[in-house]
This record gives sequence, structure tokens and C-alpha cells, in this order.
Amino acid sequence: MAVRSAAALAPSRRVVDKLRTRRELLAWIFIAPITIIHLVVVVGPGLSGLYFSMTDWSGIGKAEFVGLSNFVDLFTRDVNFRAAFRHNLFWMAFFLTVPMVMALLAASLLSQIRRGAFLIRSFFYMPYVLPSIVSAFTWSMLLNPSLGVGATLDKWGIKGLDHPWLGDFRTALASIAFADNWHWWGFLSILFLTAMQAIPVDLYDAAKIDGANRWQQFRNVTLPGIRPTILFMLLMTAIWSFLSFDYVWILTQGGPAGSSELVSTHLYKQAFLRFEAGYAAAIGMTVSLMAACIVGSFALLRSRGWEI
Amino acid sequence: MRAFFSRRENLAPNYIILGLLCLFALAPIAILVFNSLKSNLEIGQNSITFPREVIWTNYPEAWVQGKFSVTMTNSAIFVGGTVTSVIVLGGLAAYALARLNPRGSGIYMIYMLTLSTIPFWLYAVPLFILWKNLALLNTRAGLVIIYTALNSPFAIFLLRSFMVKFPADLEDAARVDGAKEWQVLTRIVLPIMWPSLLTVALVVALGVWGEFQIALIFMQQDEKMPITTSYFNFMRRFSRDWSLTSAGAVMMILPVLIIFMLLQRRFVEGLTQGGLK
Amino acid sequence: MIRKSLLSSLLMLIISLTLVVAGCAAAAPTAEVVAEGPVEITVWMGQTETSDCLVAESVDTFNAKQDEVFVNVQRKATTDSLRPALAAGAGPDVVQLGGPVFAVELALAGQLLPLDEYAAEFGWAELFHDWAFSIGQVEGQLYSLPQELETLVLFYNKTVFEEMGWEPPTNLDEMRELAQVVQDAGLIPFAGQSSECSICNEWYVGEFFNQVASPDLVYQALTGEVPFNHPDFVTAIEIHNEMMQAGYYMGSLERFQAATFSEFTTAFATGEAVMNMEGTWFYGRQDEYFGDEFEHGNDWDWVPNPSLDGTPIFAIGLGGTQSINASSAHPREAAMYLSHYFSPEIQGALAATCSYGAAPVRGVAEFMEGVDPRMQAIFAAMNEAFEQGIYGYTLWTFFPPKTDLFLYEELEKVWSGQMTAEEYLTLANEVFQEEFAAGEVPPTPAR
Repeated sequence: MAVRSAAALAPSRRVVDKLRTRRELLAWIFIAPITIIHLVVVVGPGLSGLYFSMTDWSGIGKAEFVGLSNFVDLFTRDVNFRAAFRHNLFWMAFFLTVPMVMALLAASLLSQIRRGAFLIRSFFYMPYVLPSIVSAFTWSMLLNPSLGVGATLDKWGIKGLDHPWLGDFRTALASIAFADNWHWWGFLSILFLTAMQAIPVDLYDAAKIDGANRWQQFRNVTLPGIRPTILFMLLMTAIWSFLSFDYVWILTQGGPAGSSELVSTHLYKQAFLRFEAGYAAAIGMTVSLMAACIVGSFALLRSRGWEI
Repeated sequence: MRAFFSRRENLAPNYIILGLLCLFALAPIAILVFNSLKSNLEIGQNSITFPREVIWTNYPEAWVQGKFSVTMTNSAIFVGGTVTSVIVLGGLAAYALARLNPRGSGIYMIYMLTLSTIPFWLYAVPLFILWKNLALLNTRAGLVIIYTALNSPFAIFLLRSFMVKFPADLEDAARVDGAKEWQVLTRIVLPIMWPSLLTVALVVALGVWGEFQIALIFMQQDEKMPITTSYFNFMRRFSRDWSLTSAGAVMMILPVLIIFMLLQRRFVEGLTQGGLK
Repeated sequence: MIRKSLLSSLLMLIISLTLVVAGCAAAAPTAEVVAEGPVEITVWMGQTETSDCLVAESVDTFNAKQDEVFVNVQRKATTDSLRPALAAGAGPDVVQLGGPVFAVELALAGQLLPLDEYAAEFGWAELFHDWAFSIGQVEGQLYSLPQELETLVLFYNKTVFEEMGWEPPTNLDEMRELAQVVQDAGLIPFAGQSSECSICNEWYVGEFFNQVASPDLVYQALTGEVPFNHPDFVTAIEIHNEMMQAGYYMGSLERFQAATFSEFTTAFATGEAVMNMEGTWFYGRQDEYFGDEFEHGNDWDWVPNPSLDGTPIFAIGLGGTQSINASSAHPREAAMYLSHYFSPEIQGALAATCSYGAAPVRGVAEFMEGVDPRMQAIFAAMNEAFEQGIYGYTLWTFFPPKTDLFLYEELEKVWSGQMTAEEYLTLANEVFQEEFAAGEVPPTPAR
């Protein structure tokens, strides 16, 4: 077919070029509306944020240009930012692994069954439907040492879980991640399941003829089959992990002793409690820059031929 | 597909693990529902198990105190507006990026993704001032535009990646058969994209339904506040009324849950309809 | 042809979107045309039940008694929108803030209106107690009026104390000895929390500064004469930390940091925990935990927070301030509302009906009928102490915002052992000196 159409169109190169230009023009017309909205809402104010990051702006009134001193302070003096950044790395590592594994497990098990699959899928999705304030407040109750799950289990004779999870600086961050993951992994498993269902059945049949067991089928057919979805969700998770705010803010506000402070809550405190909007902007710029690095390396992988 | 799942395979482990995962997913929601039927006193003593005494009045009380009749309507408007504009505008952009292959589309995706990582707090105040000057402050349209902008990168990216997965053969064939470009879009692309559009719509709708930080800043009139602010009506100076909070929470998730359950069916239908077999 | 129809539909879409945007833009200003009728001013209030009562007692009564001004109340879940609104030249006519320290920053940024003209017209200087009136001044001009006068005391579970034969402590050493006795008896000495409100850590910092290091030293520190890492402050924090490490608060540091308000108040009411160092706002919720309908049958009473030498010291706290927005179109009408709000009748009603702390205005005592006698006793003792000048300073009223934030947030690092009391206060002092130099410390009432 390719040969035939090439032959048919060969006489007029100009027509091809013209078609191509019109196609391109049409593409950008399609892209334009949403881009304009995005430019107005995010990029414009974001650029002014870039300016404010080099001022001593309090969020109100005049801003004085101070050059890079906010960034210098951020990297040399702000121990809380350093701690928050470490916590963000933990947060990212947690969400790149725990929910991914849970979701892959759940999706692959779910893809093999028929009876009850619809119901189970609905159940998995359900926590995701809860707004973050609802699920975070619910978990603040469940994790309470004298009222929550631990205390009830203790009454029933299962000891040791009535720990003040959110009150102990050693367990607070992990507990919040646990609560956040509760609402996230199920949704992820549905995304993976949808992707798995697009894998042609012949591939599994072929694998079975080759004598592959379930694990081998998973490794050699399922995983490669949904690789684009996995990679996409890994990327989005990495990006979103820098923006996580709700759960930490509702459950601990970064405490106790700063042990669950994330960069985003630190930023919020600078802007709205310490009235250092300029400094907060510098934190935001730093975060965006790091996220840009992640996106950049992702794009690099794509250009090397990874199909995403 | 059926052939693959022969009876020889033992599915018991599947059901056991899936059952445990279901329990993990559902137990907190069940507890939330239980607590919505308890008195504050009982929650103080027993915040996990089924209520000793069921108090239905928590619901009407929470409905009134939370002003849910107002906030629910507002949130429905915000969700409807945002989902429509994200699907239409984001869908167009995704189609263009996936099918029309304009030069610079790779750079465009990087632009979208990178800029979606700017923390909202960073530009909240400049955006606020801009919105005031554009007279968009305190307007439902103003909030919908913000939500649209913030949700579009994810939507575009997801829709585009769904679209590139499907070979363009069907569309090309239709074009060869003389279909107009518009018909290609509505008759071929939309039916194929139906499930992923639904996924994006659900994700965006949930995000907007649960959003409160932006709404709290950009809406300064009570009658335009979203449902999440109802949740703040059960607070005391330092603590909160847990009975009403739980009842309010259940009322907040119920509509979403119902819509989601209804759409789930179509979601599955869409998957099979979309030429996937 | 194909392209054309596609383009035109797209064009339609863009046009309709623009129209939506423009429509909203056009719709906004038309509301202003209404010239007849009362002048409307906007006030923001919280969303709590107490605020329902405040609206009914203050705003509704004002709207009912005159038809010149109509106060439009908007209920707010958080105060996050206030600063952006002020920065954009919008926001409510009456600006309510967390305390005089916050008014200083906004006044310096030109967001608040000087009130001296209205103070003269409505006689505010005579209405407020002198010390209270002076706190609202920034660079010699009045910018804020104080509301909700509060102080901290030591509440104790009277019934349990009587059963066990304990006497409420009169000085700090007695309190620490008693705490040990209580713990040995298998009870928790102090109820408390930091999970729902980590800001509330500021109660302890302030009380231990005042009770251990003395209000005089706090005054000297706030006026820049003495640094905040003075050894007496270090001792104050060390004593509090020792008590925390000993498990006197809620049984353990971890449980204290995980507890909620309802949990610790329940513990206090049932007698699981026997003392509670808290502010007068405790009155706003005590009836949900104490009373004839409860099985525990316990009752509470109070003593002044025990100081090192036993002198009763009451720290001055203000739950907030009211100012007028610099961009208000109707400042005089806003001032009329403020005059109504701060009148002794209304303030008395807020205390009696809403269990809310009255503003530091004169003549409010006669309107306090119906307030619990124990609360009346606290307010009487407090006012007497204020008259005699034996008062301490709460953080949220007198300490500039960044110092306050540092003190209540980083205190947890002392508890967790990441910092010593001295390191903590040395850093706090650095933060304070910066704010002090920037003129962001409100006038501290002289001693």
C-alpha cells in the first residue's frame, strides 16, 4: 500500500508539503485552547513566582530584589528544608514501590478470575473515590492509639498495634504514607488491569504452549505488555510525590518535631505562616527544577527509543 | 479470552489475596459509615465497631449544618464544567499530538509535564491578583478555568498515550473510504477512546469534587463554596464533631460512589466495544 | 470543506468560551450600582458553632437595630484567602486577625486603615482598658482593636483530688511533686495534646517562660534588653521538657503527640488525667464533658498556674483583633459596626451566651450574668492582676509571628532529643532579633 500511494502522489510534491503544513496548522489549532488556559493560569503567574523567588516579598506589599540570596539561604542554612527534602525522597521511594507492587499483584490476580471480578474491581477503586480530607480524617481516627484500630485489636487480644503512630517521630511519616497509599493503590491496580486486558490472549497461549508457569507468564507477557502504562505511572508518581500536601497537612502538619515535613508543607508554612512569600517561591522553583530533571530524563529515555 | 482461563488452574490463592485486599480497602469506609451512625460519646469509647445505638438524625443534622444543599450543587457545577472542558479541549490537544504529529510535540509534552510540577502555593497570590483584575474572582467560571488548567496536563498525557497505542489503520482505512476528517473523529476515534475518556473524566471529576485549597482561596462568597467546605462546618475551635463529620463524609462520597458504580458498567462495555477484541 | 467545518466549529467553541469568561467579567460590577438602601459592609467569620453564636449575638443585633449599615457575613473555613485578598486590594471591610502581632505586619505593609479618627469619634480609648488599647498601636497610630481576652490557668479534676486527698499546687515545686504522686497512683498528671493543634505548644512555652523565668524577664526579652537564650528561659524549657520526658503529659510523649482535643478532655473529665494547663477557652467546651448527665460524676475547678515563687501570674492573651481594610469603601460604617461589636452589652452577651471570651473593654462585668461562677472568678482574678500589673505574656499576643512559629514548632525537637533547650532558644533568639530589628514586635505593655 505504501508503495502504491507513494507512486500515486509522486508527481506533485508540492501537494504533499501543502497537506503537511495544513495538517500541522490544524494540530496547533487543536492544541491552542487548552494551552492558552494553561499559560494564563500556570505559566504567567508561575513566571512572576520566578521573579518573586529573587525578592524578599512577604506576600503583600512591596518586594525588594535580593538576587539569589533566598536560594543561598535555602541550601546553606535551612536545615528544615534539607530534612523535608529527605522526607520527600523517602515519600517518592515509597510510592514508586509499595503501591506499584500491590497494584501489579492485585491487577494480575484480578485479570485471571471472572467470577466476582467486577465487584472486586469496584471495591479496589472505592478508596480512591474518597476526597483526601475525608480519607485523611478517617485515618487520623483509625491510627489513634486509644480509639483506633490498634486499641480495638488490643481489646480483642491482638497486642502491639496500639502505638501512637502519628505521635512518634519515628513512625509518623511512614504512617501517613500508609494512609495515602490506602486510597491510591486500588486506582493504580485498575489502571494496570485495563492495560492488561489490552494484551492479546494469543501471547499467553503461546507462552503456555512453551510451558511457562504463572510467574513466567507475568514476567514475559504481562509486564512487557503493560510497560508503557507502568512507566507512565512511575513518571507521574515521581512528579506528584513532590506536590503531596493534603495527607501530611491534615494528619500531622509536618510534625512531630518536623519528622513528617515535606517540601510542600514547608513551602506552605513559609508563605502563609512566616509570611516569606519570596523565600517560599524559591523553594517552589527548586522543586520544579528537580521535577524538570525527572521529566527530562524521561524524555531522554523516550528519545532513545523507549515506547511510552 | 475464555479459553485461557481453563478450569485446571487453581484460583483459590487469587481469591484469598484479593479478599484480603478488599478488606483492607473497604474496612475504613465501613468504619466511617458506622461512626456516622453513632453519638459523639460512643465514638469516644468505641470508634471501630458497629454502633450500639443507631442514630439516624446525624444525617439530617449534618445536611443542614453543612449546608450541603448549596455546596453540593456548586461542586456539581465545578465538576461538570471542568470535566467538559478538560475532555473537549484536552481531548483535542491529545488527538492532535497523537495523530497529526506536529513538529515540536515532544517539547510540548515536556513543557506540560514540567510546568505541572510548579507547586500551586508558589503562584497562588499572583494568580489571585490576576483573577481579580480579570474579574474572575468569586466566579464559578474562574474556578473552572483554574481546575481545567491544573487537570489538563495529566489528561492530555494519558489520552495521548492511550491514542498512540491504537494503530491508525482504522482511521486511514476510513479516510480511504472517503470519510471526512470530522467523521473520522466522531465515528472512529471517539468510540475507541470512550473508555479512556471515561477514565480521565472520572479522575478529573474526583479531583475537583475533593478539592478545597484552591476553592477556599478563590471563592470568597458562601453561596459559591464547594462541598469540601461543608466538611469544615463541623469543627470547633480546636476539635471537631466526629459524628457529624462522619455523616457529612458519607454524604460527600455517596453521590460520587453512585455515579462511579453506574459508570463502571459502561467503562467495561467501553473496553469491549472499543474494538479491543 | 472538511477543514472549514472543523475550523468553524472550533472557532465557535473558542468564542463561546470567551463569552463565558467575558460574561462573568461583565456581571461582576453591576451589583455596585444599587445606591439606595443601607450601605453594605463585609465581615468574615469562622464556620464553627461558636461563630454561629457570635454572628447571632453581634452581627444580627447590629443589623436589626439600625438601617444605615448592613453587615454581610461570609463564613470562612480557613484564613488562607485573607492575605491574597488584601494583596489584591479586595477582602472584607472588617479584617479579623489572630492577634495584634499579625496586625503589625499588615499595617506596615499598608493594608490596614489607621483607626485614630474613629477612635476619637466613638470613644474607643475610654472603652478599652489602657494596656489593651495600646497594643493595637503601630508607629504611634492605632490599627487594631483587641477581642476575646483570655488567660491560662491550671484546671484540675476536683472530684478526684478530693477522693485522693490531694491539694492543688500553689507553686512550681509543689506541682512537680504532685505530678510524681499522681503518676505513682497510676493516673496521668496532665491532660494535653499536640496532634490536632501543634500551635497549642505555644501555651506551654509561654506559661513556663512566665512562671519560671518571670514576666519581667519576658518583658525585657520582648523589648530587646535580654536575649531569649537567657539561662532562666533555658531552665524554664528544661523543666517543661523533664516533665514531658517523665510521661507527666498524657502518659508518654508519643501519646501526647497523637492525642486529640476530645480525647484529652475526655481523659480529664473521667479522671484518667487529673490536671489540665489550659486557657479560659476551655469554658467553651467543658459542658460537653462535665455535667450531671455523665456517669463519671466528676467536676472541675481551677487555680492560677503555679509559678516558681508562688505569686499568681496571669498571662494576657487575646484571641484576635479587628481592623479595617485599607481598601474598604465604607470605613466609617465598618467603624460603626466595630463600636457596636465592642460595646460591653454585646461582649457580655458573647461571654454569657456563646461561652466566648469578652474583649478587654470596661464595664463588661455587669453583663456577665449567667456565666459560670468559676469562670467569673477567673476573669475577676485576671482583671485584678492586670490592674496591679502582675501579668505575663502569651506568645500569640506579644511574640512576632516567626518567633512564635519557631517556638511552638521546634519545641518538639527538644522533646524528641534532636536539640537541647539551649540550642532551641539560641536559634529562637536569632529569629526574634531579626523581627525585632524590622520593627515587627508590637508594643509590649510596660510593667
